[in-house]
Amino acid sequence: MTLRVFLMAPILVASLAGCVTNHQRYDWGSYDPSLYAYYKDPTKAAEFAESLAAIISTADSHQIPPGIYAEYGYLQLQEGKNSAAVELFKQEETHWPESKVFMDRMIKVASTPTAQSSTK
Amino acid sequence: MNPLSKMLIVGALLMLAGCAEAPKRYDYAHFRIEAPRSILIVPVTNKSVDVNAPDYFLATIATPLAERGYYVFPVNMVKSVLSDDGLSDANLVHAGDPRRLGELFGADAVMYISIERWDARYAVLSTAVTVELTYTIKSAHTGQELWSNHQRVVYQPRANGGGIGGLLANAIVAAIAKAAPNYMPLAHQANNGAINIKGTGLPAGPYDGLFGKDTSDY
Repeated sequence: MTLRVFLMAPILVASLAGCVTNHQRYDWGSYDPSLYAYYKDPTKAAEFAESLAAIISTADSHQIPPGIYAEYGYLQLQEGKNSAAVELFKQEETHWPESKVFMDRMIKVASTPTAQSSTK
Repeated sequence: MNPLSKMLIVGALLMLAGCAEAPKRYDYAHFRIEAPRSILIVPVTNKSVDVNAPDYFLATIATPLAERGYYVFPVNMVKSVLSDDGLSDANLVHAGDPRRLGELFGADAVMYISIERWDARYAVLSTAVTVELTYTIKSAHTGQELWSNHQRVVYQPRANGGGIGGLLANAIVAAIAKAAPNYMPLAHQANNGAINIKGTGLPAGPYDGLFGKDTSDY
């Protein structure tokens, strides 16, 4: 009996898989679990930032998902690293033209010394 | 062939039938006219009693949307920026004009998600974990609703061996779930059911080769 169940299991799994399209377009690294861990424990911002940095440094540039440069840039901005933030916002804008309006606005925020405190 | 094998085959056929039998096809007329390239996910409203549910859910939704081929605005950054602008209340954001959000972020469309249920209910020997969500996409240019979907996923561990061993196994699973129910797999499954099913899900986005060419399925 155990053997039969064992043999049938892949068929059941395959029939489920048939319902969905499931191919990976991007390299997400540990994005989902890191963001989840960060929301669960807000002191884990550094770990979330590390997971984003890891995606940027290890993935092929065309496999870096939308929003990753910006997300990392925003954490840099919160750390007061404004010029690093600006560079990352520019990267997001270069890779994803859809982000232009938002990134231009954030670049302005990050480049204005007085605006910095309001983002904290 | 013994009864167990027959049951499994019938089960497999039912599952296949469940996939093949398409639920009522969504009307994509407005979606096709707009053909949004980018989606802004705003903070999630919450009808459950779990105050953490909206944030936890937010950690599951960007991935499947981006994989579908859309530009997805950075969800954590958007949440923080809105909060800095005095818009941390998700209900307020949902009640607001999507065109205003479109101007602020340069988004083509806004995705609103409402958590209807996010709970675990306990019986003596079994437990049921439920995640129920409503997804709505509105045009950030016209405010028109472009797409919506509703998902309910229930996880209910069952005894597989029967007898006292099965009951004990179930009780143990229930106890673990009670200590820390894991909603994440259910949220992933709900997202998948909302986004990736032909006829009711989201058409391919601009970073998918099928963008604008999948009209027979959507």
